[in-house]
Amino acid sequence: MFLINLGHMNYNYKIFALLVFFGFGMNTIQAQEDEEDYSKYDDFELEDDTPVKRYASPKISGMSPQKFIGVSFDAQMPYKYEFSNVTFPQSLDNGFDVDEENPAINETGRARFTGGFRLNTNIPIISKSSFVWQSGINFMDTRYNIRENLNSPRSPTLLPDGTEARSLGRILNEDGLRNINWTNTFFFPMNETEFIVFQTQMDLSGNYGLDEFQSLSTIRYSAAAIYGRRVNDYFRWGVGVSRTYRVGNLNYVPVIMFDWTSENKKWGTEILFPARAYLRYNINQNSLLLAGFDLEGQSYRIDDYSVNGNSYEIRRGEVRPKLEFQTKISGYIWASVQAGLRYDWSYDADELDGEADFFRGFFGDQDFGMVNSFENPFFFNVGLNFVSP
Amino acid sequence: MKTKLFLITFCLLGYFSFAQEAGDIVGVWEPGHGKAKVKIDKIDNKFYGKIVWLKEPIDPVTGEPKVDKNNPDESMQKAPLRGFRILKDFEYQGEGIWEEGTIYDPENGTSYSCIITMKDENTLDIRGYVGVKTFGRTDTWRRLIRKK
Repeated sequence: MFLINLGHMNYNYKIFALLVFFGFGMNTIQAQEDEEDYSKYDDFELEDDTPVKRYASPKISGMSPQKFIGVSFDAQMPYKYEFSNVTFPQSLDNGFDVDEENPAINETGRARFTGGFRLNTNIPIISKSSFVWQSGINFMDTRYNIRENLNSPRSPTLLPDGTEARSLGRILNEDGLRNINWTNTFFFPMNETEFIVFQTQMDLSGNYGLDEFQSLSTIRYSAAAIYGRRVNDYFRWGVGVSRTYRVGNLNYVPVIMFDWTSENKKWGTEILFPARAYLRYNINQNSLLLAGFDLEGQSYRIDDYSVNGNSYEIRRGEVRPKLEFQTKISGYIWASVQAGLRYDWSYDADELDGEADFFRGFFGDQDFGMVNSFENPFFFNVGLNFVSP
Repeated sequence: MKTKLFLITFCLLGYFSFAQEAGDIVGVWEPGHGKAKVKIDKIDNKFYGKIVWLKEPIDPVTGEPKVDKNNPDESMQKAPLRGFRILKDFEYQGEGIWEEGTIYDPENGTSYSCIITMKDENTLDIRGYVGVKTFGRTDTWRRLIRKK
């Protein structure tokens, strides 16, 4: 019936007839697909009768994209600092009490710049429904531009043997601080609902240069274990414990996971307390806003003060309440911009016996080597990330 | 000598019994999460897969059949999910591997590069990835047949 004699038609009519013909033909094909009787697939079952074990997915709908590789630049606005005398509680038994509120201030000044580049990686090594292992090397460079006040330091920094060492302000100004860590994350789904997350982290932190690493015996180990339940595609929760340096010194704290997305996918939470907690607003599929905080910290070895076989470490911990905007640039490249407050949790120092760490927790009474304080400036961070949406 | 001949024959038989053909992938498959069934067809020497069954076909928010609401192409956001092609343009590479295609995740409206590996006649490993295969995740799909 479609064998139309086109010979006696004018040109425009021929074109119209062809369009109608092909248009009709294509609609027919589409209609054939659309009219497929899908109910017959109700009867399809597994070919083999082996029970299928199903697993909880590691993703929750609507969450911010997972970052595989990220490069960012972090900068803090200028702030005043106060550093105490450098004491050696392990070598000389002359440290500051834990509840020391008015330590002898030896150095004062202004950090005109604090920040640097950060590189983060999180590479899937094994990524299957039944098991996920992700591994990443991370690098954080913190440079300081320090201007000491007049007559600061008030007295020279003396080591236990009486030799003079650089002041902490000068060390920070000349060397800065670096952290390299290797993080491994394992996701074990037990069934469709329950899962366990296990994370290990090894940190090498200090005023070392990239051409002269500090001893690997100063690596600090962190770990976390979480038991969780994935309630549905929009909500999961978990509880666990962690050994962490996020507050500067070694601590053991409970962990709470609470990832939730509203049904319309506009709002949500991304919480792994105490490491981070965000409220999320998905502006559209390609951009989102996070409001919340990060808890950052590490124990940084100061090589100049590490004498008598001990390790002298700055317990740097900071809380960063912030706003973060993430947006897709192109393909799998997303940009992120953060701005917020860098709140000083700890910048005190400990002299560790040998190089082994100790647990002070919230209630320990081991003396501090230094008691330091910062003003709390604004910070910003801009980054580019290679992500999986 | 007889032992060697037996071993060679055994290995060849083993090889041919596991050897796969391009069309072996055609059929109905269930992704690891079990929430859908996907029918893979061959069209012009390429392989395509569309959703033919959903465990929860109705959108709880709208009360209507689920549509591809997360598709970045607005004109597609009202397309029904049932019947939607999520596997596209796969070509058989031999040795039980189909490549050069993409897999679409309706959950986030993203298409990923994809490689399909037939583990055995009833099992597929489907790896979606971004950029290079390292940055991806593998899901296991199982073959379905009509039993009634």
